[in-house]
Amino acid sequence: MCALCATVAASAQGARPLATPGVTATEIHLGSSVPLSGEAAIAGNVARGADAYFKYVNDKGGVAGRKITFTYLDDGYDPGRAVNNTIRLIQQEQVFAVFSSLGTNNNLAVRKLLNDAKVPQLFVSSGATTFGRDYKKYPWTIGYIPPYSEEGAIYGRYVVKSVKRPKIAVLYQDDDYGRDLLAGLRRGLGAKAKSIVAKVGYDPASADVQPQVTQLKASKANVLMVFAFGKFSLQAFNAVSRLGWKPQIFVNDVSSASALMAIVPQNAANGAISIVFGKDPASPQWATDKGIRLFQSILKKYGDGINPRDLKDGYFTTGMATAYTMVDTLKKAGKNPTRQSVMNAATHLTERGNPFVLPGIVIHTTPSNRFPLTQVRLQRWSARAWRPFGKLISVNPL
Amino acid sequence: MRLRLSLELLGFVVLAAIVAVLPRLISDFRAREVAIVGMYFIALVGLSILTGYSGQISLGHGAFMAIGGYTTAILTVNGFHGHHVRDLWTIPIAGVVAGIAGLLVGVPALRLSGLYLALITFGIAVSFPQLPKKFDHFLGGTTGKILNLPKPPYGLHTTTNHWMYYLTWGIALVLLLCAWLLVRGKTGRALKAIRDSEVAATSSGISLARYKTLAFGISAFYAGVAGSLYAIANAYVNPDVFPIILSVYLVVGLAVGGLDSLPGLIAGAALIYFLQNHADTVAKWLNHLPALSLDPKQPGIPSVVFGAVLIVVMLLVPTGVGGLLRRLFRPLTTRLYTRS
Repeated sequence: MCALCATVAASAQGARPLATPGVTATEIHLGSSVPLSGEAAIAGNVARGADAYFKYVNDKGGVAGRKITFTYLDDGYDPGRAVNNTIRLIQQEQVFAVFSSLGTNNNLAVRKLLNDAKVPQLFVSSGATTFGRDYKKYPWTIGYIPPYSEEGAIYGRYVVKSVKRPKIAVLYQDDDYGRDLLAGLRRGLGAKAKSIVAKVGYDPASADVQPQVTQLKASKANVLMVFAFGKFSLQAFNAVSRLGWKPQIFVNDVSSASALMAIVPQNAANGAISIVFGKDPASPQWATDKGIRLFQSILKKYGDGINPRDLKDGYFTTGMATAYTMVDTLKKAGKNPTRQSVMNAATHLTERGNPFVLPGIVIHTTPSNRFPLTQVRLQRWSARAWRPFGKLISVNPL
Repeated sequence: MRLRLSLELLGFVVLAAIVAVLPRLISDFRAREVAIVGMYFIALVGLSILTGYSGQISLGHGAFMAIGGYTTAILTVNGFHGHHVRDLWTIPIAGVVAGIAGLLVGVPALRLSGLYLALITFGIAVSFPQLPKKFDHFLGGTTGKILNLPKPPYGLHTTTNHWMYYLTWGIALVLLLCAWLLVRGKTGRALKAIRDSEVAATSSGISLARYKTLAFGISAFYAGVAGSLYAIANAYVNPDVFPIILSVYLVVGLAVGGLDSLPGLIAGAALIYFLQNHADTVAKWLNHLPALSLDPKQPGIPSVVFGAVLIVVMLLVPTGVGGLLRRLFRPLTTRLYTRS
């Protein structure tokens, strides 16, 4: 506490107007707002994974002699608290940039104020298309994971290609996030968009989606899209199993964590299809992979309060993958990084060999292409694990 | 009685002096935090008129804050007849809109009391967040409405946070004074009489309908002003900004502050803010105790800390901070009172 008072006092006295906030000769300060409590708490592991990776990099000398300090605050997945946290990060913690804050609404809520303050909003943990697309209005913002609209389109194209006489039912979260996926699905289906025979949205504040699934089953569809989040996708699988319904299920990336899939009724989960871009530490095929070994050793050594289950948690891997890209960006941002130079670096990335994403994926950005991750594979759930299949698919959100 | 009056006035002047000087002693960001505490304080003062003085329980005041916040958001973002209203002027409008909503709730409240009233008001708290989702073109849905960050008026050379601080606490002091004038006069006596016995109050000629509805309206006005300020300070509203739990927090703040103690409510307001936003810091302090090792970054720890602190506070000071203050000052005040 006193150290904090001292730094605040020191920065108040010694601050030169031109100095970049959050960067000193020995330190670069990044901040983030993620859920560490509440229903979405598990997704906050993204920040814990990133934190472990930054500590590992610091141990190896940091970036150009500077250690990365990473402050991540709990917002309970509440956009209002995300606003409060972000203001705290800029004004009190004096961070250099905001990195990988989580949630579509949470990032939307702070995008304007970050751009007004010219603070980089880097690699947001949300695939809402707007974060990569609307850079002209919000030049200080850049996304990271594949945009949801493209994910929906991939499922649409796959259905057209491989399901005979599809009759599609869609369960979607009734907000920007779910509607983004649904719009993408329609686009991917193209002329076959009429094969969507039923779609039911659910309110993210509701208790259970069983009624919606029952409604969808009545449409006699043979394909079910689950565009949900957390407990809702779990409930969807439970409901499908209980109703004895046997559609081909597609479940979107954000709600397809292995830990979740392993606990839902397997008669419903088996054969479900999703996309994947990160290496899944729970998947047997990466058990001896160098990247996953590195991931586990870093998490064991530098992670905060890590239990054995966390070593198989994909949220931690995603966090590390994002942190890896962040470190790359900082290296490219010049000897004395400024907010402008880091934005410049983030929009001129060509990163090969990120050890935490699938082999072959190139993380690529330009000033007018702010979707770093645009390559994915399809994967199918069988025998209690995700099995990738097919080649890398590239999407072009522009 | 006159001595008591001058003591209370002295207390008010001291509070005003502290409010005026405080920003010079704390960082810019802390000024923002204290401003938000001030918003909760305003809502608690209103709630104390309702619960502390008239004895009606409301578990729905978060919804009145939401009405205030949304009124401000709509007037500044959508505008009124095509004119964007300056955020400052939306504050009284937000208060009035919320106050009218409060009066409307006050009408059925006449027929209910105690637990039943609490349930009805809780129903309002639960159902209000659905409205923005239903009318999402107008009210922004779950994505919410994004306002411009507040700017000090032209000619005032100060930071955004200091501006919000002085604005909030200026309004808080005025509203505190109004509440104080209200409760120490005829209305306050009528409300207290209703709280202590409705039958006795009626037989003394007090109109239950009038005063109970009035108490609801006034307290909702306070909540609306608080919600409006909150929306301006955060430049953002969505249904989660005023969650169901906010209504519960307000009752918690009221209980911790002391039901009918206006100064104690500052402590209640501070508790609401700091336990929501700094439970991780509290968890770090707790780690200094032997045999405890809490990882504040672990999911759920902040909520557990919130609960634990609340239990401890209620065990130690069951009458709230207001009751504690009274007990502390009793030797002094009784001596002064008896001498006069």
